[in-house]
Amino acid sequence: MKPIFSVTLALAALMGSTALAHYGMIIPNDPMISQEDGRSVQLEVSFSHPFERGGMILDEPVSFNVTHNGETTSLLGDLVGTEIMGQAGYTLDYPLNRPGSYVFSMEPKPYWEPAEDSYIVHYTKTYVSAFDDDEGWDTELGLRTEIVPLSKPFGLWEGNVFQGIVKLEGEPVPYAEVEVEHYSEDRGAAAPSELMITQTVKADENGVFTYATPTDGWWGFAALNTAPETLDYEGTQKAVELGAVIWVRFEEWDD
Amino acid sequence: MRSFLATLTVLVWATTALAHQLNVFAFVEDGIVVVETKFSTGKVPVSGNVRVLDADAAVLHTLPLESDGTVRFPLDPDAAAKGITIEVITSEGHEDYWILTPEDIARGSGS
Repeated sequence: MKPIFSVTLALAALMGSTALAHYGMIIPNDPMISQEDGRSVQLEVSFSHPFERGGMILDEPVSFNVTHNGETTSLLGDLVGTEIMGQAGYTLDYPLNRPGSYVFSMEPKPYWEPAEDSYIVHYTKTYVSAFDDDEGWDTELGLRTEIVPLSKPFGLWEGNVFQGIVKLEGEPVPYAEVEVEHYSEDRGAAAPSELMITQTVKADENGVFTYATPTDGWWGFAALNTAPETLDYEGTQKAVELGAVIWVRFEEWDD
Repeated sequence: MRSFLATLTVLVWATTALAHQLNVFAFVEDGIVVVETKFSTGKVPVSGNVRVLDADAAVLHTLPLESDGTVRFPLDPDAAAKGITIEVITSEGHEDYWILTPEDIARGSGS
C-alpha cells in the first residue's frame, strides 16, 4: 500500500535548516529512454533539500561529465542556467547517439554551510539507459568518493532494495553512513517525524549498504565522509564533508 | 517525431514489445545503413533474418544477419524521406526492431 502524502511545508519551515539534508541532484526526465521516447535526455542539476523541495545555490560545477562505453566527455560548457526549487541550477539536453548506459556526474565547488561550520562537496551521479540496452549499468567512474551500484540503478520497482558499495579514494568504506531521501517532486511530502525525512543506514564491513524503498520516484543516496584536508573560511581552516551521491528512480508497480 | 514513430510502431508486428531480449540499433554512415544487434546478455547473435520496411510497411529488403550480428545495406533515398523500419528475427526466436526516422537519417544518427 502506498504511503499517503500530504502537504506539510510548514513542517520544514518550523524545523529550520539544520534538520535538512543537502543533496547534489542530477535528475533526468526519464532514466530509461526507449527509441519511442526520442533521441535525447533532459537533466535538471541542482543542490537541494529533495524531501522538502528546498533549493540552494549551485554555482557552476568544477566538472560535469558523461561517461559512456568507457569514454568520459565534459559537458560543462553545455549546462544552461535556470532556477530549480527557487535557486540557481542548470539544465542539460543531451543527445543519445548510441544504446547503452550513460553516467552523468558532477563535482561541485565546495559549498560553505554555516550551520554545520564546514564545507560540503557532493560528488553526484545518475545512470540513464538508452534504447533498452543496460550495458555499463555498473560502471565505476573513479570519483574521489562514489557509490558503486550493486543493483542496476534503473528499471527498479518500488519496494525493491537498492544496494551499493561506498568507496572513498577508491577503497570501500566499512560501516559508512548513508543518508537516504525521497525527491518529492510535484507532491508535498509529509513525515511523522523529522527522523523520517532523511533516513540513515550503515554499510557493512565491506562498504555495502542496502535500502528498500517504500514508494516510487527518485531516491537519493548520500554516503558522507570527512576529507583529511581543510579549507579556509575567513582565515580559519574548516572541515570538508565529502558526499558520494547517487540518484535512482524506482518505478510504480501498476497492477 | 513521436507521431511518426507511433505510426510505424503500429505497422510493425504486434509481438515486438515482448521480444526485449534482443536489442537492435541502426544508424546511417556515408549513405549505408548499419544495423547492430545483440542480446541483453551482451552476446551477439550469429544468425538471423532482417527485413527492411518503408513507412507504408512495404518490404524493401530481406537480408541475412552476418555472423558478427550486423548487416549493412545502401539507404534507399526515396524511403529515407519518410523513414524506415528494420526488423530482426534471430534463429533463437527473439525479435526486435529499430526505426530510423527521417531525423535520424538526416543527422546520420550514431555516426
